[in-house]
Amino acid sequence: MLHRRDALKGLALTVGAAATGWAGRAAAAAPTLGWTPTALTSDQARLVDVVAELIIPTTDTPGARQAGVPQFIDRALANYCDRTQKDLLIGGLTRMDADARASHGDVFVALKPEQQVALLTAYDQEAAVAKGQNPGQPHFFAALEDWVTVGYFTSEPGATIALKYDPVPGAYHGCIPLAEVGRAWATR
Amino acid sequence: MANLNGRARRKNTYDAIVVGSGITGGIAAKELTEKGLKVLVLERGRMVRHLEDYPTATLDPWQTKYPQGQLPPDELAERYKVQRRTGYTMTEYSQHFFVRDDTNPYTETNRFDWIRGYHVGGRSLTWGRQSYRHSPIDFEANAREGIAVDWPIRYEDLAPWYDHVERFIGVSGQAEGLPQLPDGVYQPPMEMNCVEKAFKAKSEARFPERRITMGRTAHLTAPTEEQLSLGRTKCQYRNMCIRGCPFGGYYSSNSGGLVAAERTGNLVIRPNSIVTELIYDEKAGKASGVRIMDATTRKDEEFYADVVFLCASALNSAWIMMNSTSSRFPNGFGNGSDQLGRNVMDHHLGVGASGEAPEFADMYYSGRRPNGIYVPRFRNLGDASTKRSDYLRGFGYQGGASRPGWERDLRKAGRGFGAERKAALSQPGPWSMGLGGFGEILPYEDNRVTLNRDLKDEFGLPTLTMNVTMRENELAMRKDMQNAAAEMLEAAGFKNVRGYDSGFAPGLGIHEMGTARMGRDPKTSVLNAHNQVHECKNVYVTDGAAMTSASCVNPSLTYMALTARAADHAVKARKRGDL
Repeated sequence: MLHRRDALKGLALTVGAAATGWAGRAAAAAPTLGWTPTALTSDQARLVDVVAELIIPTTDTPGARQAGVPQFIDRALANYCDRTQKDLLIGGLTRMDADARASHGDVFVALKPEQQVALLTAYDQEAAVAKGQNPGQPHFFAALEDWVTVGYFTSEPGATIALKYDPVPGAYHGCIPLAEVGRAWATR
Repeated sequence: MANLNGRARRKNTYDAIVVGSGITGGIAAKELTEKGLKVLVLERGRMVRHLEDYPTATLDPWQTKYPQGQLPPDELAERYKVQRRTGYTMTEYSQHFFVRDDTNPYTETNRFDWIRGYHVGGRSLTWGRQSYRHSPIDFEANAREGIAVDWPIRYEDLAPWYDHVERFIGVSGQAEGLPQLPDGVYQPPMEMNCVEKAFKAKSEARFPERRITMGRTAHLTAPTEEQLSLGRTKCQYRNMCIRGCPFGGYYSSNSGGLVAAERTGNLVIRPNSIVTELIYDEKAGKASGVRIMDATTRKDEEFYADVVFLCASALNSAWIMMNSTSSRFPNGFGNGSDQLGRNVMDHHLGVGASGEAPEFADMYYSGRRPNGIYVPRFRNLGDASTKRSDYLRGFGYQGGASRPGWERDLRKAGRGFGAERKAALSQPGPWSMGLGGFGEILPYEDNRVTLNRDLKDEFGLPTLTMNVTMRENELAMRKDMQNAAAEMLEAAGFKNVRGYDSGFAPGLGIHEMGTARMGRDPKTSVLNAHNQVHECKNVYVTDGAAMTSASCVNPSLTYMALTARAADHAVKARKRGDL
């Protein structure tokens, strides 16, 4: 089990380091995408694909990959995000690969699942600390988690399988057992 | 030439002209056409047809172009610097029902959030639909307290017209028998959920004078024959009202008043027609019609009628009057009192309290109720026990309880990830309940809008300058609004009760009113007891401009009742030859 301290060791040195030599590594290490990104590079898209599925994995309901979350994030980057949001997300992706190389000698998608989880756990804790220190300054991992969460729960599988969705309820019943519904409603 | 002019003039002549097609224009059109008048409705914006022109009404969450239907930050900043201030209007779902601020400028001497929709139906498509009557104490308050001027009417004058309008638009609600919130003609109320019922029982036990009732809202729960015949049907509890309702479940001009008017055969709607001024006929001593600019061709045109109804919204009706100058009215139409554009009011909000419900973790609800609970005003009701020494008038609360969904997790940090979190977010969060105040703003003469001929809009027309501020009375009231909400939640056993005051700038209540007030004296008011311009009796102003005081209840129902009453007066006066 990798500890946070180890995971982040040498991080300052590697962030922003030239990626030369690593291009295409993700393609070799991760399964084919099956879609063509427009805002992300292919390597970034593979990274988003792997991270999104770690954040919302397939369980008894579909995971982020099946719900099209990576495509959702690519589309948001292409048609929605402003410069600040883009820089935060892309900077985060760059850093994840840099950290992966620094601590394990390979790009993020090529790491073992437990190594990937350990890195994300460290980012999650770091994001909590950052929020406590500077609430107005979003941490990339918190932002990434938001993108994955929104993308997933507003997707058709997320809204209709993981949650309950009823486009035309027809009536309001104010006091019914939660067990009768079983899951949270997808929309308010 | 003379003949041609005569023919052209006849072609553009109607019995009545209604300026604006929103919540009051729709009622004016309906009432006047149903009473046999040939009516021209002039609307400055584009056509919006019921059903056909609600492009987002059935969009599912995964069908939006943008995440959660939110508009890109860059677009918001460039085009919607004011409209975005509500936080809920400028989305992909409802963007087309709000104006662009970059092409519809105005000047804020003090911050004023002017939220507008320029299209057929106006804000009746996007309104909050809460429908309450002003009470006898509302109509008497100015006179009793020596504030501004007295209303020239009393509750009894308007009561039958409230009945009339409620019967037509359909209001669901619960009769309560309270003098400060008169009952109306109601379809069955919507249902409270478990937490709201428990809150009502416990809070009322501690504070019996603070009645908790179901929100009275212009949604059909048991449609009448008339409503069904218009093509409207029961509310389907989708809570997507702001997109336009394909069921006609809530009242809008587009699904109600304009449809009723159209089927009389007496209605002509002309969209893209910006009324720029009223035409005053010196010889006849009355208005002969209006001048418009066609928004498509940019050409001016004139339309004529025996009677003109201004229903363009409080600020735009005032704008038309201020822009209508003549040797008779050098200072704006019917503005001998110099009250035109003054006494701007709204309802102040953004203050209240919330808390977490300690019970009912195993209970939930189905359906999305487009309505909440309501706490009618309980301060300054005229007796010693409700008298406040720190402010005049009062406020009501709108609120409700619900269980948050997956969105509760956004903008957090250190929340974990993976299967466990996913499972947790697939379940509803803990019950929470909020109460948000709607407070009365007093009429102040120097809370005003003025015409700015230096700043022009995209059509080269003058714009408005807003100088409206909150005063001591409103600010003192807000403290009580916050505290009283918190003490009710605490009395009802809620946990983590938090009061809040997120601040308020006039306009954000989207209840702007008062710019051409009704009154008894032409020297101190613009309109008389029938909404006629004192100085020009064939012009009626029946939108929010007419309000002499604001009450604390949502105002649209009152505007509609005033409009129906004025239409009845106009038709009778015209028949008598009095216009």
